[in-house]
Amino acid sequence: MESLADTPWDVTISGTGLAQSLLALALSRSGKNVLHVDKNPYYGGPEAAFSLQEAEEWVNRVNNETGDHSFEDASVWRGDGSSEGGTQLSASRAYTLSLSPQLIYARSQLIPTLVSSKVHRQLEFQAVGSWWIHRPGDSGDKRLYRVPGSREDIFADDMLSVKSKRTLMRFIRHIGQTQQSSDEAEGEGSSLEEEVGDVSLTEYLTSKFKVPDELHTPLLSLCLSQASPQQTSAQYAVSRIKRHLTSLGVYGSGFGSLTVKWGGGSEISQVGCRALAVGGGVYVLNTGIKSLSHLAEDSNGEGARIQLSLSNEEVIKTKFVVGSNWDLPTSARSSCDCDRVARSISVVSSSLGSLFPTTAEGGPVPVGAVVAFPGAALGQADDSPPVYILVHSSETGECPTGQCVLYGSVSISGSDGQALIESAVQQLLESAAGPDAKVLWSLRYTQLGRAIGSETGSVQSVNLADRIVRLPPSSLDLAFDDSLIDTVKDAWQAIMGDDAIDHEFMTFEDREGAYEE
Amino acid sequence: MSESTGANTAKPSSSVKLVLLGEAAVGKSSLVLRFVNNDFQENKEPTIGAAFLTQKCSLPTRTIKFEIWDTAGQERFASLAPMYYRNAQAALVVYDVTKPSSLTKAKHWVAELQRQASPGIVIALVGNKLDLTNDANEAAGEAQPEEGHEPSPADGDEATEETQEEPDASNGDARKVPTREASAYAEEEGLLFFETSAKTGVNVVDVFTAIANAIPESSLKSGRGAGAGTGQTSLSGGRPAEDSRVNLGERGPATAKEGCAC
Repeated sequence: MESLADTPWDVTISGTGLAQSLLALALSRSGKNVLHVDKNPYYGGPEAAFSLQEAEEWVNRVNNETGDHSFEDASVWRGDGSSEGGTQLSASRAYTLSLSPQLIYARSQLIPTLVSSKVHRQLEFQAVGSWWIHRPGDSGDKRLYRVPGSREDIFADDMLSVKSKRTLMRFIRHIGQTQQSSDEAEGEGSSLEEEVGDVSLTEYLTSKFKVPDELHTPLLSLCLSQASPQQTSAQYAVSRIKRHLTSLGVYGSGFGSLTVKWGGGSEISQVGCRALAVGGGVYVLNTGIKSLSHLAEDSNGEGARIQLSLSNEEVIKTKFVVGSNWDLPTSARSSCDCDRVARSISVVSSSLGSLFPTTAEGGPVPVGAVVAFPGAALGQADDSPPVYILVHSSETGECPTGQCVLYGSVSISGSDGQALIESAVQQLLESAAGPDAKVLWSLRYTQLGRAIGSETGSVQSVNLADRIVRLPPSSLDLAFDDSLIDTVKDAWQAIMGDDAIDHEFMTFEDREGAYEE
Repeated sequence: MSESTGANTAKPSSSVKLVLLGEAAVGKSSLVLRFVNNDFQENKEPTIGAAFLTQKCSLPTRTIKFEIWDTAGQERFASLAPMYYRNAQAALVVYDVTKPSSLTKAKHWVAELQRQASPGIVIALVGNKLDLTNDANEAAGEAQPEEGHEPSPADGDEATEETQEEPDASNGDARKVPTREASAYAEEEGLLFFETSAKTGVNVVDVFTAIANAIPESSLKSGRGAGAGTGQTSLSGGRPAEDSRVNLGERGPATAKEGCAC
């Protein structure tokens, strides 16, 4: 290991985002020589998690290296901390703020993948409990309304009229039935899609079930759609509401989605990279690919290689190169058709405990909650997109006790979007925290990623040409997007070639010495 | 080995993530091999790839399960360590008592840990290859921490130091790093300190036991990392912190095995 150039690399992976790290995991027992580099000095790429200081360094990097990151317009706001008493910001390292706080549904393909590859024991999963809608109450003031997300909830809800309950139950039962019949029908061409047709969620709920208007946004929030109900397709919404319902109770009562302690996607990334490191992969941070050229097959039978110049001045040869657009040299990038969303991370001086009720007797204490603000709740038109705030309690390990982290997102990018998120954060504090609660610190940025189309099934596969495996941009979905697993599998198959045996993908035995009982 | 095969009683069991750091060839992997398998390989090849091993350490009141991360072989790139010490509760920083430059490197690692790792991380500084010095045998008893109390860095080492004040060059003593120098540094920085021999086994188990004893109870409860608050806010019902953990093994019939969620 004196020099990277001495090794004939089979694969060079650039970037340690979730996609690359899951690929690292997939290749961890392949026996291939894998070099895994990242131009950044940290792991996780677009899914990294930071202390306050690291976040501030990241802001500088994003703003100075425009075009080299899937982020833009980052800024940090820090309270002056001069206010008398009250909770103050803690030390930088007391925080682990995640660029990817996505929630993971219990039915996501990610879970069985982490389990079959035996890395789930290095992760700590926690429950995301309640969904809330923020909207004007009867007396005109804004209030939080807990979305009845299960049959039990609907039954117990004291805000709904008997008629609304009956309507909702009918809707949920209907979704459940279409699931069954599509399971029986075998294959993807579900009867659901045919039955729903090409209409909006609003139209579908109104015409088919006579669901009252007031229940449209709660149902929208369950599918985490980043468009208004009028602009969300019913097919997309219904399949996602179905996912929500069928995920309930899978890993315990009262919740259906999970988050990973200590920084979400960043933890999963690192677990994948560790697995490859244990399997012999070599890791070099702070080192990117400067340029890339193809070498012809040489006379002594050595197959064609790609020559890479690394930013640490080493020149290496590799059979395959893998990376997202932002991890490859400009010449090797493909055109990026990306959406932009506004996001923010706010540390607040309240535990917002009322957002995390235990949702079932004997169930775990939820550490996450989802709060949706329909456009109208923020003074926007009815058909403007909602703002979502994922609230993480200190139990996630992301902030000290007595504080909370709010992850805001809206599909309008730029200052307009940031203003909406800020307004939502203020309203949330007014409704759910004491009068002294305030934002202590916040990070705002624009994130680029795969378009959050309201269409289902638009799986983006990897773009493989000349043995350069180009990974699609990260998903901007608020829930883990299962198509990432397909992407990783495609990349794995491209690299493994004839050795790729379908059922061996991500299926490993425990390593000797590890977890022996 | 006696220390780690303790009966599987009802004692609470906690996982502790421990990262192993140090210059190449100081014997990091050998220390772990001694601890985990009570084995030693002369002329061990440099570790290829990073190792991950687990070993239990039985304390009077609890069982500590070490998850040991070895940066083996990749010291040059210093790129595994940041991932490894993230949320680690303990670090073992190893140098070679016959190689002064390895102590310098160890000090760099300690500084980096203090700058970047969880604020509450327990760091042990370990001078390995004691078998190559004249203290090989005496040290065995002397550096042993006293039963039932957390070894303070200087414990017992004063005596060791006496014997090595007058090194007997003719005796082939290869020691280049005086115990006093390293222990004074360790004391200054608040580190646990041991001199060990992975070859003879001297002090190896003691290092891990001392670390296990030094991990604060609070950080065990809340799992890894000391940066986050421990315990539960009263608003979420005052239940113990473990209650937020979701066990993926709970799916289907209740066959969840102990330790599955770790």
